[in-house]
This record gives sequence, structure tokens and C-alpha cells, in this order.
Amino acid sequence: METALARSAGLTDVGLKRDGNEDAFSIDESLNLYIVADGMGGHLAGEVASRTAVDLINKSYRKWKGSETPEEEIFGCPDVSLSRNGNYILGGIQFANKVIHEMATHRKEYKGMGTTIAVLAFIPGLIISANAGDSPIYMIRNGRIEKISKDHNFVAEQVEMGLMTEEEAAESPMKHVLTKNLGSYEDLDPDIFEIVPANNDRFVLCSDGLTDLVTDDEILQMVEDEQEPEVLCRNFIDIALKRGGHDNTTVVTVSLSGTRKPKAGPIKKMGALLGDISSVILKK
Amino acid sequence: MYKWIKIVRTEQIINRYSFNKDNLTIGRKPENDVQIDNLAVSGHHARVDRTGNDYILTDLQSTNGTFVNHKQIVSHTLKHGDNIQIGKHVLIFLASEKQEAGAEEPVKERDLDKTMILDTAKQRELIAKQAKPGTAVPAASEKIGVLSALGGSDLGEIELTKKLTRIGKADTSEIRLSGMMMGATAATISKRPSGYTIAFTGGRTKIKVNGNVIHDSVPLKDFDTIEIGSHKFQFYQKETK
Repeated sequence: METALARSAGLTDVGLKRDGNEDAFSIDESLNLYIVADGMGGHLAGEVASRTAVDLINKSYRKWKGSETPEEEIFGCPDVSLSRNGNYILGGIQFANKVIHEMATHRKEYKGMGTTIAVLAFIPGLIISANAGDSPIYMIRNGRIEKISKDHNFVAEQVEMGLMTEEEAAESPMKHVLTKNLGSYEDLDPDIFEIVPANNDRFVLCSDGLTDLVTDDEILQMVEDEQEPEVLCRNFIDIALKRGGHDNTTVVTVSLSGTRKPKAGPIKKMGALLGDISSVILKK
Repeated sequence: MYKWIKIVRTEQIINRYSFNKDNLTIGRKPENDVQIDNLAVSGHHARVDRTGNDYILTDLQSTNGTFVNHKQIVSHTLKHGDNIQIGKHVLIFLASEKQEAGAEEPVKERDLDKTMILDTAKQRELIAKQAKPGTAVPAASEKIGVLSALGGSDLGEIELTKKLTRIGKADTSEIRLSGMMMGATAATISKRPSGYTIAFTGGRTKIKVNGNVIHDSVPLKDFDTIEIGSHKFQFYQKETK
């Protein structure tokens, strides 16, 4: 039993200025795992980086979650501030970074490649949001939009240090200078957040091809105006193309339609089978 | 492969120093390879040494310290893109051939691609415009939220070490509270990109922040008072090492 009944859709578009699409995404409603990656690097390297990251994170999460692997056995974990599933995501991202970094270091055609990553996962009673780079994750709740990822770029850091205002940051051509990504460095410390879900939460994961051209308020408005995930994705791609489509654009939208509150009843039946999950449910 | 150090000064000058020898010294005095004429910078502040393929940055026991990616360092192996803060100056270590080749092209012509380049005429201009002379770069540090129990409670100071803290009667709560009307999970506090946020979880236990009952979630500010049923806390954030 999953608390979250998610409806989702994803769409990617090469845009009007680029030859290839270096973005990648994945949607897995059975795992409740949603990923967007924006690759960089010459020739086909960017595509390889983003696809590798999406696949590795998806596979490792599936494997570890399926076997309820203890955190201690996970690559580079545990981070004690996170839940077990949060550690699965962290481990998956760190593992993907290691692999992409290795490929970029040892193969000439992949030199300099890297990718951003935005990962959203649901387990009963918990939303996990993880990212590295500048592909954002938004949560829309009660008519408000909140970015539940952290932008890892030079200007965002300048804003955080108080050296630049938000307005200056939006105008700065340096907003594409990333301070974190998968591939460039041997080690990576992604940002991960854990939040309790609420009824009818909705989420947008995207590449900066969208957020370069569309404001947070516009995203909020578009989400409020369209309930169908597929149509919403199409609307986002259309607006990016209408405004110039200078970059690849990828959007994944997820709606938690009617979060089921786990009741005490079924827990007895599940017993020890769902050790991890039921412990979360019991907290309700 | 060339290695570069680039310097971004808030006074609007940008310079680039390439590594053509085995070490590079940084400091206020003129004999340094990278001279930063500012009183917050020590005479001999820091140095970078090449050892094999590594470039090691060492703080020369400077008065105000050397920071890499917001963390104070004594010695640090530089990685591509590392952000070195000395006084109010930011130096960026760049190490790839790609950057080398495209370094002088303006960003616009590079099709707004993701680059890691910092010195172009346009950017100089922007940095100059954005510079606020006299602003010191604050040494950004991690902060951790703390709930301080008020009103004769023996709970004391509780550090919020988890990304998500559940508060309630359940055994699995990170913070366990007692009381007749206490819910299994009465409230949660999550650390989000914008800071700590407290959320009401829909049970019978009333949650108040600064005396106001909350129905969904509110961001927490330093010294907010939080009431969860009959328990009362003050929230604040403290620096961590």
C-alpha cells in the first residue's frame, strides 16, 4: 500500500536552437520516483551523462528499496540526518557521480561531461527531494509555490552570501556557472530535503530551459489552471518554445491526488513484511 | 593541462593567473604572485603548491583565514571550480582545457551554454555593477535549528539534527512528548531550502507559533515560540562546526 497516489507525466523537447537533446528524465509510478537531468559536454557526451545518471539512480533505488538494504551498506552512506530512503537517493546520486566522473576522466570522447540532477521520491508519509546543479523541483501546496531544491550556481551562492540581489541574479549571465554537478568532481554532496506530504500536493521538476523563460509565479498559475499532468507538460513546453526555446526543455509534473491517510487497521496484517514502511505509517 | 587561478575582486577588477611554475603565493605584500591590496588580507596569506597532478592550497596562518567553498581550511587540495575566499575577494580555481579554449569568448556567443568561465568583458561589467564596496564576504557556515524547552520542562535543548523531525507521542518520533491530547505525530519540522518549517499534521493537538494556531505550515524564525499541546519551546539556530 502506498500513501501517495501519484499521477504523473513527462515531456522533453530539443527546443529551437540546439541540434541535440542533452536532457533526460524518468518517471516510475511503481517506485514513486521521478528524475530530470540536464547534461553538458560536447558531441554526445551531455546526452550520455544525463542518461547514465537517470538510469543509475533509478536502478540503484529500485534495488536497495526492494531489498530494504541497510543504510550502512549503501555507497557513501549513511547520512544520519536522512531517512533510509533518503540515503538510497543520496547513495544513488553519489554512485552515478562516481561513474560519470570516471567516464569523463578516462575516455577522451567524454572529457568534461557532466549533468545536473533533480530527484523526487515518495514513500508513505514522506516526500524526498534531492538535487545537484540548477534543475529545480517545485512544490505547489495550498495555492503557493515553493522551490524544494537548491540551485547550485555561482549567482545563487552570491545571493546567499548577500553579495547580489535576486533581481541581479536573474539578469546575470553567470547563472549558468554551476558549482555542483555530476561528473566534474570525484565527490559530490547533493542537497536532500525531506518533507511530510499533504493532500493534493503537486510538483514540477524541470531543466533550466523552462525556468530561464518562465517565472515561478507563472509556473504556479499554469499548475493551478491545468489538472491533467500530460496537458500541463505540453503547456510548459509550448510556452518555452513560444519564448524562443533557446535550450532543451524537460518537464515532469506529478500530482498527489488524494493522499490516503494510513489507518491503524491494515497495519497488523502487514506485520513485519513491511518493517520500514509500517514504521513510517505508525507515526501517523 | 593548464591550471588557472582567477580572481574576482569586489572592487570590480578581475584578473587571471596561470600556473607556469610550481607555486603561487597570495597576500597583501607586493612580492606575492597574487597581490591583494586590502587590510583584511595578511602580508603572506596563502599559497598554492603543485605536487604531481595536485594543487594544494595552504593558509599561512593568516589573521582572517582562508575559506574554500565557505569552509575554513588549513590545507586543501584544489578541485576545478573551487571558490577560494580571502578577505572579501573570491578566487576561482579552474582546471580544464575546455575552459582554456573558450575563456575569452563572451558568454552570449557561447549560446548560453553552461560554462564555468568568469572573465569576459560583460561579466566584468556585471560584477562591477554588483559589487558593493566594503561588503565583507561573510564566512558562510552551516546552521542547525534548536528547540529550547520553556516552562520548567526537563527536555532542555534539542538539536534538530534530521532533515525531518517528527514530534509526538509515537515511539518513532524524533522528539517524544507526553500528554493526554498529544497526537502520535502532532507536528513536524523540516529543513527546507528556505529554512526550517513547522507543519501541523492534522491531529487533535493544537500547534501555536507565537501564540497563533497554525493549520498548515509556517517558516520558523529565530526566537519564535512554539506550543505543541501543553509543551512550549523557543526556536533558534546556532552555528555548527
